[in-house]
Amino acid sequence: MELRQVIAAIGLTALVGADLAREVRDGYCSDLLSDVLAHAKAGDLWITHQRHLNVIAVAKLRDVAGIVFPRRLRPSPDVVARAQAEGVNLLLAEGTAFEVAGKLYRVLHP
Amino acid sequence: MRWWRADLHIHSTLSPCASLAMSPARIVAEAHRAGLDLIAICDHNAAEAGRYVRRLAGAAPAVLMGMEIQTAEEVEILAYFTDEESPLLLQEELQASLPDIPCDPELFGDQVVVDEREEIVRRVDRLLLSPVDLPLSTVVRRIEDRGGLAVPAHVDRVPGGLLAVLGLFPEGEWPLAVEIAPWTPVAAATASWPGLGTRPILRGSDAHYPEEIGRAWTELYLAAPTLDELRAALRGEGGRRVRPGPELKEEW
Repeated sequence: MELRQVIAAIGLTALVGADLAREVRDGYCSDLLSDVLAHAKAGDLWITHQRHLNVIAVAKLRDVAGIVFPRRLRPSPDVVARAQAEGVNLLLAEGTAFEVAGKLYRVLHP
Repeated sequence: MRWWRADLHIHSTLSPCASLAMSPARIVAEAHRAGLDLIAICDHNAAEAGRYVRRLAGAAPAVLMGMEIQTAEEVEILAYFTDEESPLLLQEELQASLPDIPCDPELFGDQVVVDEREEIVRRVDRLLLSPVDLPLSTVVRRIEDRGGLAVPAHVDRVPGGLLAVLGLFPEGEWPLAVEIAPWTPVAAATASWPGLGTRPILRGSDAHYPEEIGRAWTELYLAAPTLDELRAALRGEGGRRVRPGPELKEEW
């Protein structure tokens, strides 16, 4: 499913919409970046509370479809600027990581 | 110059997760038993216990003031200082930004400062075992601005290790050196983590119990066991160097 459809279906806000036509294949939840580097797959929508600048490098390395920050968490301006420069989609969610993951799962695995 | 044995990661009674037996007197006695020339007292987000250990130890072992700071990203950073004022001021700033969670001794353990006469001088009410509300870059800057040395703790370990939590080294020069966990073989650490092999590697005991003091250590080739000499060794100046001791055979 295209990222723009996922955004509409589960109520995300695009903070950096670098490529909203990107295909979302699956999801991954983790705040440990070493774990994401080891286990996330290309095309995953990645849900995380971690907002260190390294999230952008990790997103690029794993080629995820985008990063979702739950619970209205906002990344700092340097993270946003790097995402724009690197073309990484950043999404914001009102709900908790559990809620975002649950909604995403339903949409991707109806 | 000669080789000195250092254990730069020792908790005291002030860390809730550490044994109440970790008083200054016991720490100094165990450091003598382990043949340590240089130690650092690194409680979670707290520095004040180091003062009393230092008073008791005199010059043997030499005692650095230290802290193990948990950043907002939940990365743990060891901070080392020579003077007492700088870490105590930093401790105040850090503790002001800790979440207001009381330490329930039943759940977390006691947080007490014990002096050189084995007397409890203070009990800290707010739980120290929480991340401060400051990002890693800010924590490192505040340590360095006050003349301290910031070394990421047990970088390969979950929880709290810089590489485990953040996956990669942050951009830039920092860190000058890293600490690896007591049980990680150096070869395994450098094989697993890109960039690790290009920096000096330290090993500390992360002792929470008296018998753990000196279970892991680092050998330092220095003119004297001081922070300035350690920093020079991490930069490889004048033939100074560091050599991590062997790993513990199994995880405790």
